[in-house]
This record gives sequence, structure tokens and C-alpha cells, in this order.
Amino acid sequence: MGEVLVSLKGADVVSSKDFTRPMVERVFEVADEALRSPERFSGSLSGKRVALLFVEPSTRTYSSFHVAARKMGADVLPLVDPEMTSLAKGESLYDTLKMIEGYGVDCIVMRHPARGAARYAADVVRVPVINAGSGSQEHPTQSLLDAYTIRRKRGSIDGLRIGFLGDLRFSRTVPSLVYTLSLFKDVTMHFIAPPALQVRPEVELHLRKRGVSYDKVEKQSEIPRVVGELDVLYVTRLQKERFPDPSEYERLKGSYRVDMELLSNARPTLGVMHPLPRVDELDPEVDGTPHAWYFEQASYGLPVRMALYHLILGG
Amino acid sequence: MEEGLLVRKIDWGTVIDHIPAWRADRVLRLIDAEQLAKDPEVSVIVLKNVPSRKYGRKDVIKLYHHHMSRTDAALVKLIYPTVTVNYIRDWKVEKYQPELPDVIEGRVRCPEVTCISNSKRDPVVRRFRVLKEDGYIQCYYCDAIVEFSSIPDLAVA
Repeated sequence: MGEVLVSLKGADVVSSKDFTRPMVERVFEVADEALRSPERFSGSLSGKRVALLFVEPSTRTYSSFHVAARKMGADVLPLVDPEMTSLAKGESLYDTLKMIEGYGVDCIVMRHPARGAARYAADVVRVPVINAGSGSQEHPTQSLLDAYTIRRKRGSIDGLRIGFLGDLRFSRTVPSLVYTLSLFKDVTMHFIAPPALQVRPEVELHLRKRGVSYDKVEKQSEIPRVVGELDVLYVTRLQKERFPDPSEYERLKGSYRVDMELLSNARPTLGVMHPLPRVDELDPEVDGTPHAWYFEQASYGLPVRMALYHLILGG
Repeated sequence: MEEGLLVRKIDWGTVIDHIPAWRADRVLRLIDAEQLAKDPEVSVIVLKNVPSRKYGRKDVIKLYHHHMSRTDAALVKLIYPTVTVNYIRDWKVEKYQPELPDVIEGRVRCPEVTCISNSKRDPVVRRFRVLKEDGYIQCYYCDAIVEFSSIPDLAVA
């Protein structure tokens, strides 16, 4: 996207690093409109064809892209099960993309297990590519709905103190949200994770270059104090298979669990977010408290993806 | 003791000079010196830890009957800024000052095994942006960063 400021017409959405603040705010405005008057968007993509190429499992992302496209009147070409696509037969991603483009689609929404697959796809085809998850690299549209949630709940993102907790190294939502939040003023970030699961070096480099204030919280004993200072706590799954030593996982999982005991340290206004699905890291007891933002967060997937379609394909 | 006392001058080829001491092997890997074996006329002379007026000790590589590409010269300079490259033609010396590249294509593989550029199925051209001020190269596709000093470990033919 490079130089794009506000207009997203015909643009790829590959990485949150490509976003600008005016562009993100434009997505928020249109998402507000989609929430307020969804009927205004019905039929707005009539005659457009959207391909959903999902080479990895997905529930929320796939369904929200699918429902958004249908609500707006687009034809949807679902290529969801890798067994059904020629990729399973050893076809290259290049050939698959060229084949899809040949069907006259106006946009390709793609999830793929390889890091960098979205950038590659955007170079291969002429139509816009929307990255719906590129391995452990990025999930830029999730970051838009995450940031939109914060903006809806708090009115503004500027000046907030945001903690990221869990597996920050292999999570694709964390880098994208970090890049998107780094566009806002005076945001402070705390990365709460054991050293093996800390935020990736390129994410840190990005923050240093943008002059964003951040720190890494690696001692378990510090977690309650840090949580007590936060406006938002973004929780990700701690995946057992990521630990070289399974006993290390067993030892750590309790410390990275968000429950009422941990939240007893929190400010009353703290919002807890999670890209879902959750496993053990977020106690269902939290669901009934004002801290729980995550189901509302998930619900914004639809208006935000409608806004993206509108700005990229319509308008 | 000057290097000239150890190895005679060459009339045609490339002299890669002022390599930090004991780093010549990494430079050879970087420039894929093995492919030079295909040319029976080429000799490679490697000097390690020889005295240097400027740096105390240094390595020197002479590629006899071979002119290293300017792209490779730039890549070597990126990793070892002290390096100078001289092209020799009929005893005449051209002192070449490589400009640091903005992009490196093809010569370095991404350290991320799950990066699309390491896919065996897809014809992806490996590509890195050079972040000169930060001392890293960054994969164009997956954003992984590599310190300049680690580039020789990732060199590909």
C-alpha cells in the first residue's frame, strides 16, 4: 500500500505496517456506519466476486469475511478446505492464485500457513489481496477490529497503556496489533511473557524506529503489578507445543492465566481482550465482569470487514 | 612483513583486501567460491591473519583470473565495511568502492523455515531490504530480520 493515506480503493491489505492513522480512522468511521445502518451497505457489492482462499482452519475470520460479503451482495467463491483445492495435490500457491484470478474475482481474501504468503500473493495477482492470516507473521484485519474495539470502549487510543500477555512470539495477532497501535500517540506497551515466547525482534525494531515506549515483563512476580497499571490487557493462548520442555509449560501456565485473582489488582476500567479461541488462559469467571471485552471484540469482526470491503471494492 | 612477500601480485583478477582477520572463509561462502571450481583457469589464494598497517591483522583473498560481480562486492562490503575490492586487468588496478545495496536478491535465504521464500513449490525470488542504519536486513516477505554479521550463515548459491 505504501503511500496510501486514506483511500483504500483497489489496495492490498497485507501488513499492518503499511497502515496510516488516517486510513485506520477511515476504516473506523465506515465500521461505525455499518453498525449504525447496516442496510445502507446491502447490495453495495452487487456484481463483485470475492474469493475466500483459506488454506488453514478458521472460524471467526472466515465466517465474518463470508457473511460480510454476502450481506453486501457479493458473489463468494469459497476455497476453504485445502483438500478441496489443488494445493493438496502439490500445486504451487502461484498456480492456485492465477487460477482464482482467472475466474474474474475482484478480491482474494487469503489465509495461508506460510509467513510472507500474503505479500507474495499481492505481487502475483492484479486484484486486491486481503491477508486473513499469514502463518505466525500477521493478521492485519484482526488488528483493525482489535483497535476498533479499544476505540469504541475507550473513545480514543491515544495515551493508553496496553499489556500483551501469553505467547507473543508465535501469535499472528500480536505483531499486527502492535503495528496498528504504534500509529497512535503516547501509547505504552508492556510485553508480558517468558523469554522464549517474547515478542519477535522485528516487532521490537519497529517500535524503536517509531519511538514507541515499551518494555518486556519476564518475571512472573511482576505480572500483578503491571496488570494493575494497564488500560487494556490483550491475552493470547499459551500453546503447549511451543515449549521445548512440556514441564516448563505446566510450570508457567498458572502465571499466565487471567482470572479474578489476577484482576483483583486491576483498575476498574481495565478491558481484557482475546482474539479467541481461548483454552485455559482466560477463566470463564471473567466473562461476567465489566473487564470482559472479548465477545464484543469478536462481534466487531463483521462491521470492520464490511468497512474494508466497502473501502477496497466499493465507494 | 608485507603480504607481497608471501604471495606475488596478480595480473588479472580480483583482490578482496582488508577483510577482518580470520573471516576469509565467511567471505568465500558469501561469494559462493565453490562455483569457481567450474573454471579450470581460476585460482583462489587466501591469506589469513597477515599484518596490516591500518588494522594490525587482516585476511586477503585473491581471485586469480576471476572478476567478482559488483553485486557480490557490495554484499561483502555490507558485512565487512573495512573491505576494499580491487579489480586487476593486465596489472592495472581499479579500486572499486562498492555502494551499499538497498535490496539483496537471491543470495541470502530467510532464516524462518515457514517463510514463503523457503517454499519448494513456489518460484519465490528471495529478497531482503537493507536497513543500513539499523545493521539488519529484513525479509521482504515475512519481515524476519538478520544482523549483517549473520548473513554469511544464510548465503545460498
